Amino acid sequence: MSVIEPYESALDDVPGAHPYPRSSRYHDVEIGVHRASDGTEVKYAKRRLLPPLEYDSDETVPHVVSEGERADQLGQRYFGDSGQWWRVADANPVLDPRELTDEPGEVIAVPLPGGFAGGMGGPGVRNG
Amino acid sequence: MADDLPVGGGPIHVSLYMGPKLARLVPQEVTEALLSAQITSTAGERSGFQLAFDLTKKGAIVDRLLPEGFFDPKTRVILTVAVKGTPVVLLDGLIVRQEVGASNQPGQTTLTVTGEDLTLLMDLEERTDRYPNLAPSQRVERILGKYADYGIDARIIREQVPQPPREQARVDYQTGTDLQYVNDLARANGYTFYLDPGPVPGRSTAFWGPEQRLGQRQHALNVNMDVNSTVDQLTFAYDGTAREEPQVRVQDPVTRQAPLLAQPDISPLRPPLGRRASPALKRKTLTGTAKKDEALAKAEALGRAATSADAISGSGQLDVNRHGYVLRPRELVGVRGAGVTYDGDYYVKSVTHNLRPGSFQQNFTLSREGLIARSNVVRP
Repeated sequence: MSVIEPYESALDDVPGAHPYPRSSRYHDVEIGVHRASDGTEVKYAKRRLLPPLEYDSDETVPHVVSEGERADQLGQRYFGDSGQWWRVADANPVLDPRELTDEPGEVIAVPLPGGFAGGMGGPGVRNG
Repeated sequence: MADDLPVGGGPIHVSLYMGPKLARLVPQEVTEALLSAQITSTAGERSGFQLAFDLTKKGAIVDRLLPEGFFDPKTRVILTVAVKGTPVVLLDGLIVRQEVGASNQPGQTTLTVTGEDLTLLMDLEERTDRYPNLAPSQRVERILGKYADYGIDARIIREQVPQPPREQARVDYQTGTDLQYVNDLARANGYTFYLDPGPVPGRSTAFWGPEQRLGQRQHALNVNMDVNSTVDQLTFAYDGTAREEPQVRVQDPVTRQAPLLAQPDISPLRPPLGRRASPALKRKTLTGTAKKDEALAKAEALGRAATSADAISGSGQLDVNRHGYVLRPRELVGVRGAGVTYDGDYYVKSVTHNLRPGSFQQNFTLSREGLIARSNVVRP
């Protein structure tokens, strides 16, 4: 539950202060601070865990990989933004985006746009 | 690759969730019948929404869903929109009212549901309660704790002017609804209270604190820049009588003197966005402060001076498809192309989203307290 924050924290934790934009897969990642031995503070993004795999086929559509296709083309085609290829990589899941499209004829799952990465949601809310 | 259809059909996708308390994705018939959605979110005020559905004869809505109470008041509605694959929750609210407009013209029969965001829950029941020895932020925390089962998290910032409560001297009473009381407390401290839906459907954050006029600016609004314009039109107004100088007197119980308090410095509460601050033309005497504690009166003067400081306001309309981003309310945004006087950073006071098939328009209002930008650059 909530804690009352001191007045100063309202000015620290401001909207848009996260170093990654909303469209980035690192947007929800916690930012840690590493204190080096000489006292300097270095900010770093903590490890990002892949969202749990959903075996629901109504939230993804199949895509047949064609010859010479790249991950960014998938992003452009299905989401309208080539930078969103990581959503396809998350759903399959692969660590190297080249693995997605290296075998022509392979069927990969493309998540429907509008889904929220990382599952979750409030009580009774399903991702769509 | 152009011949086969992409999955979505466009860069903007809307998902609608409805249900009693637990909202689920609506059936496909409802999604297809959605004609338009209008959502207004404002800093310091309640958000509202209006959804219009096509009511075809013998359709699923008129035959089954409407009589079953699918659109009844107090049904929860969550609307999310994905722009270029990035989903944002625009609305988490409750239906208040439904209207059916039956028409002789085919295709003109519509169902319109109107509602407000989840703070409506706090506005349903009038209560009286006493809060001995609780500072304003602690009272807000206790009130908001009751609404956690709708997925509302609270984010409360301690008041800027500390007001240590003393039960012997004064016990604060609540009359009216929870929402009225929380809003009154916010106004007395120069704060705002609003509900921010997201980051995921079903969760929202109730924020009680100062308007956050800091941090990274959103992508700039361009006007009058030929092909680079993202805003259709932008109107600015400078209202000289908006800013007031509050006059506050507190009576000393011993000497019976009521000296005037010094003018509060509002810049910590809202950092200046313009270089030339607008002067306060009006003087306003606050009533009822003489019998209050000094800290209480100081906080009220500060709040009054801060909330009236925004003499410059702007309003306009933008097309999300052309802008490429959803403009979010209660954050800062840069404006360029409006001339030296009105360029620079603004606080986005309110945004109205207008969604219909094939278009996503946003009407917005901006505000700040002075003319002329402080910096030579805005974030593009």
